[in-house]
Amino acid sequence: MFETATQGIITGILMGAIYALIALGLSIVFGIMNVTNFAHGDFVMLSMYLSFAVGSALAWDAVATPLITAPLMFLFGIITYYLLIDRTLRQMYVVQLAVTVGLQILMRSAALIIWQAQPRALQYSFIQGNIQIGDFQILTSRLFSAVVSLIFIAGMAYFMNKTWAGRAMRAASDDLGAASLMGVNYHKTYALTFAIGSSITALAGGLVMSFQQTDPVGGIRFGLLSWAVLALAGLGSLPGLIVAGIIVGVVESLTVSFFDPRSRLLGVYAIFILVLWLRPRGLFGRR
Amino acid sequence: MLEINNLNSGYGKVSVLRNVTFHVDQDEMVAIIGPNGAGKSTLLKTISGLVRAQSGEVKFENDSIFCLSPDQVVRRGLAYVPEGGRVFPNMTVLENLMMGAYSNPGILKTGILDEIYTLFPILKNRSAQFARTLSGGERQMLAIGRGLVSRPKLIMLDEPSLGVAPKLVDEIYEKIHALKRIGLTVLLVEQNTGYALELADRGYVIENGQIAMEGTAAYLSTSDHIKKFYLGL
Ligand SMILES: Nc1ncnc2c1ncn2[C@@H]1O[C@H](COP(=O)(O)OP(=O)(O)O)[C@@H](O)[C@H]1O
Ligand SMILES: [Mg+2]
Repeated sequence: MFETATQGIITGILMGAIYALIALGLSIVFGIMNVTNFAHGDFVMLSMYLSFAVGSALAWDAVATPLITAPLMFLFGIITYYLLIDRTLRQMYVVQLAVTVGLQILMRSAALIIWQAQPRALQYSFIQGNIQIGDFQILTSRLFSAVVSLIFIAGMAYFMNKTWAGRAMRAASDDLGAASLMGVNYHKTYALTFAIGSSITALAGGLVMSFQQTDPVGGIRFGLLSWAVLALAGLGSLPGLIVAGIIVGVVESLTVSFFDPRSRLLGVYAIFILVLWLRPRGLFGRR
Repeated sequence: MLEINNLNSGYGKVSVLRNVTFHVDQDEMVAIIGPNGAGKSTLLKTISGLVRAQSGEVKFENDSIFCLSPDQVVRRGLAYVPEGGRVFPNMTVLENLMMGAYSNPGILKTGILDEIYTLFPILKNRSAQFARTLSGGERQMLAIGRGLVSRPKLIMLDEPSLGVAPKLVDEIYEKIHALKRIGLTVLLVEQNTGYALELADRGYVIENGQIAMEGTAAYLSTSDHIKKFYLGL
């Protein structure tokens, strides 16, 4: 009992760091542009397929594939922004909703056509195996992914605080009109924000592919996980995002250990609803 | 320096400004006064590009800036300090000031921040604080400071005394007076007519989206209309 719980918590913490990374992509787009991207989970799904394609074509390790997939997803983000998102900004909210839900369906259908319905996986990588600590086991691939995720989130904090592009993004988030009076071209800043959000899914997708397979509807799960993390964290606090990611990871992992593996998302969804009831701004949100 | 001819502007289908014509010459301080809702802010927002003009002419240093976006207007050297300041609440005072240099980061190496700290010493003490923690007066000072960072040729101030504690209003006005002394061209929008006419060289009165009167500050402050409706004498 105690062992199972501890093992579940360890696994949950590692997964949680990755969930925080995935949610970061959603969080910056939502927090800075006020755009709710319902296709975010499917960006992760697409990224995982790209990782699969790159990894199998070049015989690369999954964790190395973001070197190629991140620039590709960055480009995909820029194109999606200018073709779709930019045009919805001055429209009613339902237009934006319809566009990103439509994008979600489009991406799923495209994945189904290109890669068919069967799940795809890459050969397990150099970081396979376990680290044994006492009675507990840590999957090396998950530990590696969690560490990379945390480093990336810290890097993002640096970017947002110490670079001109990052400050422009925060200023646009605070007051778009005032930011444009400072010389910020919001189309460019938003395109960059969306592209960064999109390339974050490429990094996350590569990391997840080191221990998991992908399928065309896998995006639902990552979408829901990201929303749950974001609802829990609230906007504007990166440490909050990490803590929220870990809470969600642990809840998911404990649901799997003690309840039923098939109900893993149920536990996540339950906290999502609970937070919306009890603390709509999230645990750490300032807005 | 700034020339506006027959400007019409508003929000969507709603017209606010009708055939507004005025100009600001180099080194002048020009005041625009008028009652609440007359269209003063709409005028400044239209010049700065936040609101899209419907028709007319807007020229800055003899180049048309009609319908340019705000980020392009500020690059021409025309800064706008909006009503209420609109500082970035979740950025520090220093970061807010730095955003003023966004269109030209190199300007930070010219000692501009020190100049602004000399003008507004309180901003130096508060530089690491989030702007949301500032008082109304401090926010206005930050907004003006942020507008000055780009070393604009002309600065437009929209009711800099709004939301400022009465005992600080005098101080804000002293600073605006100082801007004039350092050779900045200023377009000042104020509801506080007494202050505005004391500082400005010339003024325009805007009522219902139209220029109702214009003249030197001395002329305006002796006009019966102004005395009666604006100065309450
Ligand atoms: N964002 C807006 N949308 C629609 N109408 C507006 C908006 N802002 C101001 N107005 C209207 O434009 C008119 C002029 O407002 P404004 O320029 O703010 O006046 P002032 O600055 O002189 O007090 C008012 O009738 C106001 O209701
Ligand atoms: Mg106004």
